[in-house]
Amino acid sequence: MKKYSQTSSVIEDFSKLPFWQKYAVVDLIYVGYGLLIVALVLLSYILGMFNWLPHDPQQINMDMLMAPPATADYLLGTDFMGRDILSRLIMGIQAYFLPGLLAISISLSGGILLGVVAGYRGGTIETIITYFTNLVDSFPRLVLILLVIAAFKPDIYYIMVVMGITGVPAVATAIANKIRFLAQKNFIEAAIALGLRTRVIIVKHILWYNCRALLIIQATLGMGEAILLETSLSYLGFGVQEPEPSWGNMVQSGANYFLQGNFWPSTAPALAILFTILGFNLLGDGLNNILEDKRDK
Amino acid sequence: MNQPLLKIENLRTYFYSRSKHSFVRAVDGVSLEVGQRETVGVVGESGSGKSITAMSVMGLISTGPGVIGGSIHFASARVQKNLLEGLHKCVKVEEQDGRVMAVSKDERGWQKTAERLMRDLRGKEIAMIFQNPRASLNPYITVGEQITEAVRLHTANKSVREARERAVYWLERVKIDSPRLRFNSYPSALSGGMCQRAMIAMALSSEPSLLIADEPTTGLDATIQSKIVDLMEELKSETGISTLLISHDISVISRLSDRVAVMYGGAVVEYGPAQRVLDMGAATKHPYTAALLASVPSAQQIRDKANLQAIEGDVLDTINVPPGCRFYARCNQVTPAVREKCATHQPELQEVAPGHQMRCWRYAVPA
Repeated sequence: MKKYSQTSSVIEDFSKLPFWQKYAVVDLIYVGYGLLIVALVLLSYILGMFNWLPHDPQQINMDMLMAPPATADYLLGTDFMGRDILSRLIMGIQAYFLPGLLAISISLSGGILLGVVAGYRGGTIETIITYFTNLVDSFPRLVLILLVIAAFKPDIYYIMVVMGITGVPAVATAIANKIRFLAQKNFIEAAIALGLRTRVIIVKHILWYNCRALLIIQATLGMGEAILLETSLSYLGFGVQEPEPSWGNMVQSGANYFLQGNFWPSTAPALAILFTILGFNLLGDGLNNILEDKRDK
Repeated sequence: MNQPLLKIENLRTYFYSRSKHSFVRAVDGVSLEVGQRETVGVVGESGSGKSITAMSVMGLISTGPGVIGGSIHFASARVQKNLLEGLHKCVKVEEQDGRVMAVSKDERGWQKTAERLMRDLRGKEIAMIFQNPRASLNPYITVGEQITEAVRLHTANKSVREARERAVYWLERVKIDSPRLRFNSYPSALSGGMCQRAMIAMALSSEPSLLIADEPTTGLDATIQSKIVDLMEELKSETGISTLLISHDISVISRLSDRVAVMYGGAVVEYGPAQRVLDMGAATKHPYTAALLASVPSAQQIRDKANLQAIEGDVLDTINVPPGCRFYARCNQVTPAVREKCATHQPELQEVAPGHQMRCWRYAVPA
């Protein structure tokens, strides 16, 4: 049965309601889970940065080959060289965290710039930008990355720069479309008539208030994508190289032992990939709903 | 006589139709005056150039070629200037037989000049309210914050707290119930009428000299329309603000205006005191105004279930403006004596009575 209730007989100001009454439960769960994952990733990143780990992730221990999870001292067990899987998982975050942020910031800043110019100015420059974004879009991302790897070296930062650039068209198109949509409703015109500076209109009224949800979802999706790309390239052997740990090469090296019954060396990083990407995507989804539905209430 | 607050002279705003390779003469030589503490109503069918006139004043025309000629003098206590000053440097118009054949325009230069000229006027000296009020408010910012922003931008109340108080005061002034509660509402939570009230509050919060109301009641339902008109009438008498009121609704115009300009096909065809222009029985009456007035259904007509009196024919094609009178094709008052002139020569706006001008050969004073 669906229940509709009013918290008190006085009409409360919506903005003063506690946040759990303001938004849908499912969105709060998404965001909560997403934030938890982000916090875990951040924490692990810091732990890895200062090397505060239970074990040295590269230390080989020949006495403890393929120790199952929950062995004393080795919470998630060890891999085929006796290296601690938990430490390697935590260290694996180093492989994508900063490069992923780099990729996101390249696609967001490039996308915002091109999108605003195309959407707000229009005309010839918009046509040029559209051609550029179409050009970038039409090139398969993986092929481009493999080209870069072949031409330079298999470095994760090179890969992420390419990923950032190939992410520009999506952001630019989304922003330009949003601005075009906003221009139909004439509040931009009204803002000009009110005497607001163009800078204020673009930064405050368009980007901050009307595009922030879009930018957040692009950023979180971008992070998820960066993780996926890094792990798959490392899995294929193009990204982070052994013995340096990465979730991708952990899955790859563990996979050889999977059918022998030693499932944990590859399952642990695989689950980490799954839950992390899920977390970033759900965070974007939930935040999008929470930030977007203000105008409906 | 006092200097008028706003004096538009021979304003021309053209657009270009790419498919037809010709100019759309949206506003073609409009001259208007808004005096101090005066409301001038501009009335006409859709496509007669009313809104484009208002937007030209505000410098909001962004598609080319846009404003190509004329002058707009603005003279308030604080600012006196021609809003189209320096325009002639950016626009070169080639004319042939009194028709514009080509326009070359330095868009960047024009944009820059316009920005510079309008910078301290927009919102502060000239405020504008639009039709479709909900679309004119930012959907993601509470109305209170939007008004606060306008207050902080244009008045001496720079601190947030002061500006908020001022915003609440204006919300109260435009008769929004429980203004403190509505302050935190998003535009979507307000009805169309309330949004328009908020827009009016925002426009008036900077205490401008001139308010341009572009179809302020369009898109609202009839009872709300009349309430908005009541509000505007009240604010007008309280603040004495000059208003350029644009509407196709004659009842709105007649309730608020001191003077009325009737526009047809981008030109003013009749301009004079409201009582005279909107008086059905006046002896001198432009045929278009007469037809417009006749098309308003009266209560008697509705009781009789009589047919509505539409104006025959279509709105003037502003691309192919005929050489004669703009209204000639639809005019039902052409007399044989003037027929030839009507078809071939454009009548001038001539005074038929003190302060009452008309563009019609029937009332033309023989030169």
